[in-house]
Amino acid sequence: MGAIIVSGLVSGALYALVAAGLSLIWGSLGVFNFAHGVLLMTGAYAAWWLSSPDGLGLGLGIGIVGALAFMVVLGFVVYLLLVRPWIGKANAELAVIMTTIAGSIFLQNLILEIFGGRYKTIDQVVTGTVAIGGTTIQAQNLLVIILAPVLLIAMWLFLTRNRTGLAIRAVAQNQDAAQLFGIGVERIYIATFAVSAVLAGVAGILLGGLFNISPDMGTDPLLRAFVVVVFGGLGSLPGTILGAYAIGMIEAFSSYYIGIYWTPVVLFVVLIGVLVVRPTGLMGRPT
Amino acid sequence: MKKDWTRIGRIASIVVVLAVAAVAPLVLTGGVAQNLAVLSILYAVVASNWDLTLGYAGIFNFAHVAFFGIGSYVAAIATLQFGVPVWLDLILAVVVVVAVGGLVSALALRLRGIYVALVTFALTQLCVALINSAKDITGGPVGLIGVPDLEIRGFELGSEPHAYFYAAEVLLILSTIAMRWLATSHFGLSLVALRDYEAYAVGRGIPARRQRVLAIMASSIPTSLAGCLYAHYLIVASPDVFSFSLTTLLLSMVLVGGAGTIYGPIVAAIVLTVGTEGLHQLGNIRYMIVAVLIVLTLRFLPGGLWSLWTLVPAIRRRRAARVPSPFAEEASS
Repeated sequence: MGAIIVSGLVSGALYALVAAGLSLIWGSLGVFNFAHGVLLMTGAYAAWWLSSPDGLGLGLGIGIVGALAFMVVLGFVVYLLLVRPWIGKANAELAVIMTTIAGSIFLQNLILEIFGGRYKTIDQVVTGTVAIGGTTIQAQNLLVIILAPVLLIAMWLFLTRNRTGLAIRAVAQNQDAAQLFGIGVERIYIATFAVSAVLAGVAGILLGGLFNISPDMGTDPLLRAFVVVVFGGLGSLPGTILGAYAIGMIEAFSSYYIGIYWTPVVLFVVLIGVLVVRPTGLMGRPT
Repeated sequence: MKKDWTRIGRIASIVVVLAVAAVAPLVLTGGVAQNLAVLSILYAVVASNWDLTLGYAGIFNFAHVAFFGIGSYVAAIATLQFGVPVWLDLILAVVVVVAVGGLVSALALRLRGIYVALVTFALTQLCVALINSAKDITGGPVGLIGVPDLEIRGFELGSEPHAYFYAAEVLLILSTIAMRWLATSHFGLSLVALRDYEAYAVGRGIPARRQRVLAIMASSIPTSLAGCLYAHYLIVASPDVFSFSLTTLLLSMVLVGGAGTIYGPIVAAIVLTVGTEGLHQLGNIRYMIVAVLIVLTLRFLPGGLWSLWTLVPAIRRRRAARVPSPFAEEASS
């Protein structure tokens, strides 16, 4: 039982990090970033390349900091090339789905071309095991469980206290009014993409410590994040986070009691069930 | 006088297309060339049908590739596991896919915009999960091998080298006629009206959800047949048909060819299938090229390659009165 809850919390925490980034971009730009999973993967590769002896071998600390700095730049580039030209156009929503899918194919194959398809591993940020309440868990798992809420709270404080964070929310709520108050909307969009990419990068580095790194490692978390944002409601950060933990728990319990192969089926049924009852998700707002 | 020229042009293009269709299988006799031709024709069927829901109706439908995959799996499972006669599995596949398409779209279209894309994407992933979990029936990640040859009234298509080529062509031609007819009918116009100005269209009495569900069901019929033909031709049904890369390839056909044109995706399907196969030695780089093509098309030629026709002034004048492509219209606004 303890092990199931731990596993649910770990998945929930990772899904929350991934889905929060998606939700943030949706909230302020009104577009959906299908390249988010690939951003996660790229973050993990950047950390691996900087830290691993097979790469530059600079150690894990520099690897993480460097990878996150790289994510800021990558988020900016993705925004500039794949999102910005379509913002404000009639079919921005559909066009950006297409461009970010194209972007994710590009990045994934680029990584495959540079690093090859073989699995790689990043060192865990913390090693060893910890015994809590009769259950032994890997320290890295515990780190994920603790770090994700800390980061999400930090993000919440950033969005409610910091001027840039407040500006992000202002733009999300009413772009025209925000612009009238002198907020540079363009700058805010870039900031949103950077924050979102950094969250994806953190998730990638954590995931890379738990499992292997491969060019398609971002696909599964992204698909789970789809379920999460539909379940919780896009654009609502509390809804997204609640949805992430709910999906993580459902997945953990279903893997144990029903079987790992049938879990995606269970998730889909849950998703359809939610949609039938509440088409905008648990806490979403209509688009 | 002008109208006569239009009619002559139309008849001439029909004659040319039929002539090419009749001669192509006799000319492309090499195994590789023929294989490539059959695949590109089947992809053309899938892409042009996807265009009906994605381009004309503007539904964020990402389950289309799943219809193709389910079609191929129904054919394989029915014939291999249950010994269904080889022609009956075609009908079975259409029935199953139309039912799945109708049910899922009826549920998914309770939602709007991006949510539809997410749920339909999830459906495609669900198919892969189901295939992996029901290994005994579906063969799991390996897929099902040994799908029997397609047999019509005792004639096995595999026994004659051109048979699958012609069968695929017949499917493409019939499906294209049906799609064009649908797209220009009142039904098709109501889809475009819903896409371009939903509130007004609904106000004029068009039932939004019903029309869209019907569009998805209609487009799933030729797509499921293409899936069947695919399985019978390749002798396998593999979970690769649900993969992200096939979805992207087909998506690029719709977009690069020109969404909302039907013909554009057909041309793009043939060009891109042959192109990516021709650049085989480039490996993964060809997918990067396709990705760049998608972005460049959306950026600089939102109407797709087919919209290049409109650069000819006479055609532009004629076309102005017609239905615009979902991406092309925004370029002018």
